Amino acid sequence: MRYYHLNNLNQHTGISRRRFLKDGMLVPLALAVAGGSISTLFLRRADARGFYLRPPGAVEETRFLAACVKCGKCAQACPYGSIKMAGGEAGIGIGTPHIVTREVPCHLCPDIPCAKTCPSGALDRKLNDIEKIRMGTAVIIDRENCLSLRGLRCEVCYRQCPLIDKAITIEPRHNTRTGVHSIMEPVIHADKCVGCGICENACVRDKPVIRVLAAIPGQKDYYEF
Amino acid sequence: MSFKWWPIRRAVQLSIIALIASPLFELNLFNGNLAAGELLGIKLADPLAFLQATLASHLFIASFLGAALIVTAVYLASGGRTFCGWVCPMYLLSEISEKLRRRLGTGERTYSLNGTRWALAMTIILSILTGIPVFEILSPLGVSSRAIMFNGRLPLLLVGAILVVEVCVARRIWCRSLCPVGGFYTLLGQISPIRVSFSRERCTDCGECLRVCPVEEVLTPSLADNMPQITSGDCTRCGDCIDICPAKALGVGVWYTHSVQSKEVSP
Repeated sequence: MRYYHLNNLNQHTGISRRRFLKDGMLVPLALAVAGGSISTLFLRRADARGFYLRPPGAVEETRFLAACVKCGKCAQACPYGSIKMAGGEAGIGIGTPHIVTREVPCHLCPDIPCAKTCPSGALDRKLNDIEKIRMGTAVIIDRENCLSLRGLRCEVCYRQCPLIDKAITIEPRHNTRTGVHSIMEPVIHADKCVGCGICENACVRDKPVIRVLAAIPGQKDYYEF
Repeated sequence: MSFKWWPIRRAVQLSIIALIASPLFELNLFNGNLAAGELLGIKLADPLAFLQATLASHLFIASFLGAALIVTAVYLASGGRTFCGWVCPMYLLSEISEKLRRRLGTGERTYSLNGTRWALAMTIILSILTGIPVFEILSPLGVSSRAIMFNGRLPLLLVGAILVVEVCVARRIWCRSLCPVGGFYTLLGQISPIRVSFSRERCTDCGECLRVCPVEEVLTPSLADNMPQITSGDCTRCGDCIDICPAKALGVGVWYTHSVQSKEVSP
């Protein structure tokens, strides 16, 4: 079936058996081993790079990195341009989609076009309810600088939240510093927060005091009272 | 003015780049890139991207398999590495590097064509072992298409590096010896019915075809042993040898001809 054999190659291209073996087997093998070890190192380092906010419907991060083929269809489907493709700084996550909330957060389109268009299952195409999205959970990371917690009537995160009164509620309490005022504290409920990042985008401080972090999984609750 | 393949091939190559760039101009013809895309609502996927993602993630998506099978069927019918010769932007880059290289007279080294199949095997093994679609991380094809789609520039350093190596060190090393996608289509090309045909009677042994062919090893069985078709899967079916042949000894062959022509050459 195969017509060309070593003799012909020798005759016409002047490749010796040694050269053939060296270039045909050893060089690619050496390249593959080198490539493999580099990519393994690369992979270890990338684990420590922290949290990337993935588009709606993203499966668990390890599996997401396994399934994403970096085709960019989700980013093209996003009408707000929220989804960016990561560059080299993402390590093995290079070319994967993520959302930079401080630039453009996810606006939670009701038909979730990004997840629908994903070919490989990295985003769950069957997701059809925006309240079931779990990209992450918003957390107030800097309580000292939160204007609401300092007793001012800010509450911008609460007003902007697409799941207002579900994902973020306002819980007033007595302001012990002044003794006469209230503190209107924004409280995030991890079981409702979808992690869209609109609160982080809306935070009025130069550095957002509320940020979306990795989703907090639900815990069994033995402490009802 | 005789018929030439290269203007058609160049037009196809450029229209692929235009299609990848089309969403930038709000045209709804094509989404995605050559790893996975959607052309006029038809889902397409690179079979190797499908294999890597599925083996790495253990997630099976039926429509992804369907998209990969459509692409496999198209290239199986049209010649396997026709993907390389007619579609892939990296091949266009290697044609540019070849022009530069000839002008400068550098980078004469060539490496074995087996490299692509080694790369294919390593890609699949590493994808299973690491749980990461290994080639999709490094793919200059993905890097360059994302650079076109999203105006990214920095990742083009990788593509530039390949260009420099190809011009200075080894002739067309990416397409000839390193690309696992090429390795995959080589396997299809071995059984594909579209081949370059060869006529011993017409051939004058001028060697023009060997000069233009990116993978000139594939011509050896025909030129030396008078095989009536170029049977190697490494042939990219680019048609450059057909275009250049002054004696019209090379043409498009369909289906298989296994009979060996007589060795006598008419004077």
